Amino acid sequence: MNRLKLATVWLDGCSGCHMSLLDIDAAIIDVAGKADLVYGPLVDAQEFPEGVDVTLVEGAVSSQEDLKKLQKIRSRTRTLVALGDCAVTSNVSAMRNGLPVQKMLQSIYIEGVSAAKGVPTDGVPALLPQARPVREFVKVDLYLPGCPPPAKAILGVLGDLLAGRKPDSSAKLKFG
Amino acid sequence: MAQKKISIRIDGELVGATEGMTILEAAEGAGKEIPTLCHMDGLTAVGACRLCVVEVAGIGRLLPACTTPAQDGMSVTTVSAQLTRYRRMVIELLLVERNHVCSVCVSNGHCELQSLAKSLGVSSVRYPYNYPRLPVDLSHTRFVLDHNRCVLCTRCVRVCAEVEGAHVWEVTNRGIKCRITSEMNQPWGSASSCTNCGKCVQSCPTGALIEKGFAVEEMTKRHENISALALAKGARP
Amino acid sequence: MTRILDINAFSEVRERGLAKLVPARARIAVGMGTCGRGNGAEGLYHAFAEQIDRGGADVSLASVGCLGPCSEEPLVSVRLPGRPLVILHRVQSSDVTRILHDVATGNVTPDLAYCKIEEWDHITSHIKYGAAWPELRNWDEVPFFRGQKKIVTRNCGFVDPDDLEEYMAVGGYQALYKVLIEGHPEAVIEQIKASKLRGRGGAGYLTGNKWEFLSKNKASQKYIICNADEGDPGAYMNRNEIESDPHSLIEGMIIGAYVMGATEGIVYVRAEYPLAVHRLERAIEQAREYGILGENILGRGFQFDISMVEGAGAFVCGEETALIASLEGMAGRPRPRPPFPAQKGLWGKPTNINNVETWYNIAPIVTKGAAWFTETGSTKSAGTKVFSLVGKVTNSGLVELPLGTPLKTLVYDIGEGGIAGKAIKAVQTGGPSGGCIPHEMFDTTVDYESLAQIGSIMGSGGMVVMDEDNCMVDVARFFIEFTHSESCGKCVPCRVGLDKALKILNSFTQGVATHEHFEVLEDLGRMIRDCSLCGLGQSAPNPVLTALRHFRHEFEDHIVARRCRAGVCEELVLSPCENSCPLHMNIPRFLQLYKEGKLDEAYESVVIDNPLPASTGRVCQHPCDNRCRRQTLDEAVNMRDVHRLIADSVFASDRYEELNARVVARRFQPSGRKIAVAGAGPAGLTAAYYLAMLGHDVTVYESKAEAGGMLRYVLPEYRLPKDVLRKEIQLIERMGVKFVFDTRVGFDLPLHELDDRYDAVFLSFGTWKESWVYLAGTELKGVWPALPFLEAVARQEEILLGRKVAIIGGGNAAIDSARTALRMGAEALIVYRRERKDMPAIEEETLAAEDEGAKILFLAAPHRIIGTPDGHVKALEVVKTKLGEYDSSGRRKPVPTGEIQRYECDSVILAVGEAVDMDLLQASGLKISEQKTIEIDRYSMETSRPRFFAGGDVVSGASNLSNAMGYGKKAARNIDERLMGVRRWAKLFPEFEYAQEAPVQPSESRRHHPSQLPAHERVKGVEEVVIGLTPEEAHEEACRCLRCDVKAVGGR
Repeated sequence: MNRLKLATVWLDGCSGCHMSLLDIDAAIIDVAGKADLVYGPLVDAQEFPEGVDVTLVEGAVSSQEDLKKLQKIRSRTRTLVALGDCAVTSNVSAMRNGLPVQKMLQSIYIEGVSAAKGVPTDGVPALLPQARPVREFVKVDLYLPGCPPPAKAILGVLGDLLAGRKPDSSAKLKFG
Repeated sequence: MAQKKISIRIDGELVGATEGMTILEAAEGAGKEIPTLCHMDGLTAVGACRLCVVEVAGIGRLLPACTTPAQDGMSVTTVSAQLTRYRRMVIELLLVERNHVCSVCVSNGHCELQSLAKSLGVSSVRYPYNYPRLPVDLSHTRFVLDHNRCVLCTRCVRVCAEVEGAHVWEVTNRGIKCRITSEMNQPWGSASSCTNCGKCVQSCPTGALIEKGFAVEEMTKRHENISALALAKGARP
Repeated sequence: MTRILDINAFSEVRERGLAKLVPARARIAVGMGTCGRGNGAEGLYHAFAEQIDRGGADVSLASVGCLGPCSEEPLVSVRLPGRPLVILHRVQSSDVTRILHDVATGNVTPDLAYCKIEEWDHITSHIKYGAAWPELRNWDEVPFFRGQKKIVTRNCGFVDPDDLEEYMAVGGYQALYKVLIEGHPEAVIEQIKASKLRGRGGAGYLTGNKWEFLSKNKASQKYIICNADEGDPGAYMNRNEIESDPHSLIEGMIIGAYVMGATEGIVYVRAEYPLAVHRLERAIEQAREYGILGENILGRGFQFDISMVEGAGAFVCGEETALIASLEGMAGRPRPRPPFPAQKGLWGKPTNINNVETWYNIAPIVTKGAAWFTETGSTKSAGTKVFSLVGKVTNSGLVELPLGTPLKTLVYDIGEGGIAGKAIKAVQTGGPSGGCIPHEMFDTTVDYESLAQIGSIMGSGGMVVMDEDNCMVDVARFFIEFTHSESCGKCVPCRVGLDKALKILNSFTQGVATHEHFEVLEDLGRMIRDCSLCGLGQSAPNPVLTALRHFRHEFEDHIVARRCRAGVCEELVLSPCENSCPLHMNIPRFLQLYKEGKLDEAYESVVIDNPLPASTGRVCQHPCDNRCRRQTLDEAVNMRDVHRLIADSVFASDRYEELNARVVARRFQPSGRKIAVAGAGPAGLTAAYYLAMLGHDVTVYESKAEAGGMLRYVLPEYRLPKDVLRKEIQLIERMGVKFVFDTRVGFDLPLHELDDRYDAVFLSFGTWKESWVYLAGTELKGVWPALPFLEAVARQEEILLGRKVAIIGGGNAAIDSARTALRMGAEALIVYRRERKDMPAIEEETLAAEDEGAKILFLAAPHRIIGTPDGHVKALEVVKTKLGEYDSSGRRKPVPTGEIQRYECDSVILAVGEAVDMDLLQASGLKISEQKTIEIDRYSMETSRPRFFAGGDVVSGASNLSNAMGYGKKAARNIDERLMGVRRWAKLFPEFEYAQEAPVQPSESRRHHPSQLPAHERVKGVEEVVIGLTPEEAHEEACRCLRCDVKAVGGR
């Protein structure tokens, strides 16, 4: 049987969803037995590979870079899973959305600090006007809300996908 | 006064009820659950959230169970693919209207909107989020009004008027601009008619009306007590 | 002042009213509704008053309400004793003197006369004015009034609304008196029930049943309410009813109160209707003074009074429970029913609410009986309904029609179709709560059931007509924006659902929505409709749901092609002219460059947008004219002739070589892709030009010996000199396009060979097959189909037409044939089966042909061609036609009358349309549409065969030059995108420097028409007849442009 190509990606989120993924504990050995983790913060790969079977996307789309990355991922992924509230609803990432970007940066990096005032520009991607959920930009195949989604739920979905079943996340999950 | 007994069919099952009961009351009496949000036992039903819409045989449109009187011989369907789809859409619409950031909400885990989303299987929302910029009224010494979490169920308005008799709350503006407002648009803290009883806070289904001093997930509400009080007082006209 | 307490007093007042209404001297009445006042009726009234005063004329002057035809305001009715009432229209203050002079001499001013009324049925009485002036049209002969039946508006425009006595003169309060004297409320309810009168507010609930419900409620306090909170955009029936005839409302309400046992009545009227409020207030006061309201009404012991409450303007307060909340001093928010108002209404008491118009039907029903009422209208919907017919329709105004009248009667007969001949697209019935009905469905009858069946509603009676300049996506968006801002916010579906629907619709009008949004929007619409608390929400999605059903292609255009055909959606449109141009030429740009004296750049701008600028500058159908906003000031800018002049100027100058070299230098690096184009007509040439510019290797195969298609072989020399065309084709050759002539694709060159040799193929072989008519005698010598005739002339072949030629048809080919025949020394008669305004030919061409001596016989269809014994044409027999029913295109169908006319002639030319050669189509092996054209994907232009694209007449059927070129241009873009996998199109077009500001003071000069040779010289030869604009004229035309392309200051 072909081994599943699995990727994870971390956009505008806190990495909590990835922590929850690691929380599946020993079960990760089973997963590793059936799938190759080909890309993600846990893997040392520079370029998102072609022909990925499943990508778990954590975080909202908040910057130009997030958007480009997401579009590439979508074009190279068969099943895209929005992992966690930020990816599904934008969640905490969206709490900045009521403020115009410039004003927000101003209040954080200039008004909010006493020393080294200045909005960082080098090496940081331009922010989008608002942080918005993944589905507003690309097609999402499966939603796994939760802040973070419980490890069991992630494992359930991964288990289904690894076994070639259509995962059903709707019944067991909640926001927050 | 002896009330006339009637019987209606709910999802095929014959259920006994008393004349004057709503479909919702009849269903609850028979142990059937219809999702509700704006409804609260003891308060006037307003039929605003539309979660409790049901199909009634012979009537071409959907009717809210909370305000429609049960009639002898009526046949009601409370669960169908269409109803579930519509109910999910109600929840989706409420989730995009304001800023429901569950993970940082003091009502996380004790929120009716959240649990309805869960029970109705809403795992994502198909509509663009509004992300409105809304104020939080911290002027009251004990309570907080956070418009970000409000679903405009108007339980606070009704409980204050019908049970407490203080009439602090009203809905101002119209359409998407509607807001709950205290005493002629004064900060809650300066609303002289407020008796600080907290019934509104206890009735609120979400984290919109909360007590100060609670952290995330800590705020629990006691609607049942308020309902019991309201029923005892016979507030509902 | 008389308090009417008995029949004698009643009659006395009535007599006094009659003496005023039909006096023994002249009476002049000015229509003083809001619409009349808006058009200057007040000034007019004062002018009459002053002059009558000054001159001491024996004339009684009155102010009345409105008869309905708003587009004819101000209206004045003049009546001399014993003579008909004559309605004068569009009366100005300057007309007052002569009207009074005419009246003094026993005349009415004929040039101002709109119609006359010899007698009038007020339903509650009948007034005979007198007969005279046979030369004047009777009112029911005026298209606007034909088919109308006035029950509700029976008194509107006749009586002085401020005078109760005049109302009584036409039988007012008689029905009330009768009801009070008879004293059988149940009988009245039975009568209303039997009349099948349904609520005119929109929902259509049976009024009798509603009344019975309340009458059976034995509460001591009951209310009746008149709902006059008319708030739909485009609807003003109730306003006019109250302004013109307030007493009918009062009478209806008193009768209702009596039979239902109510003691108090309330009229809830919009504060935005100050005149209606004022007149009703006066009417109520008068009614009290005469003892018709208050205690002991008409001496019959019944007590009832009416008060008025002005609404603050919330649309939702038209919903009865919200209206009641508003009356109680609360925010206007509906509550769920039950309990219904009849159980628990105002202040918790039983209450009946009816719409204004419902109340107006009561007195007529009581007077004439239920059976009389049901004679009018359809089975389920009895009586009439007043509609406000507004929007893009010639005759706008208030129209009262029997229910069950087809929409097309309303739009085409009464409204007389679109303004300035524009095609009508749809009608929105019922305002923001209704749906749009496409013109194909105008057979639908207007009644509660039929409209509901097609997803619309009758509503209160707004009828907004929309034409080709209305974008249906924008219309849907507009109505949702309205209901969104009027939603009370109580229930979730309406409050949040409409907000989301509006956002999604905005994304459509901005062209950024996706296909997924169709489903989301439809789902949402259904949910809002099914789940909302009150009628506002339940009906709010109708405009969107019907637009999605009937105009889905317009939604798709916005998001797939990012195109708004109507030119409304700002984000998708540069300017109305650009948007209407099939080639999407940046017209404001070349006008501005020319205006700035930059001829080189202006030429580059033109030729980068259009490879045949001199040809199109001569013969284009110029759709840009119809959309030019300058029309709202005077006439459209003559854009076509300016770009002709730009091209001609460069062709004649030494800059020609260098400028073309500049364009050719824009050619992309060779792509290595090979493309074949079948057909060197306008579509093929255009596609080849752009494909070559994009770096592809392009070969054009043409069955004839030269390039140009119809331009070369059909268009007469006098319209398009062939040298001009050849010069233009040179540029296309220089771009690197190769031509292979005398090769017919599909025959000489099979498609599979193209398949092997080329990466893509564009099929554009035109419509060369002449449509034939089934007509006796077409086999005779001297019968020519138009295209072969014109082609033979173009080839300079010898043709013997004879002395007289008859041409059948009304398109450009017919006109070209006629003018060509004139140049061959023949007389030309064009036979066309419809009217002049229906002719598809370019108007200037038709006029020029007539100038040159061609005759046109309208409303005549060919019957047969008669031959000589030796088989030659001798005469043409035509059958006269008359205009029948409107067809779905909004034109009236010509119907043969049987009257035959005979024309002696030597030749007959059949110019009845062209089609694609079926042999060619079959040889193509492609999927063929029902219209016998090649079927393509609407957006990608791909045929059923991979890598084969098609465009031009072969796809659209016979069309015109610019449409064909538009296809060619779009095909080039699509083929390139398909072959290269990236969008490179925009890179073809350079930036130009020119002023980006709208003229503060645009040139005031009128449109310049190009000069022509005198008609008698034109027909002598084949020289080009239109000489074109001079540079000075062209410059002025450029200065006339309003620069619609310049968006708001500062840009977005």
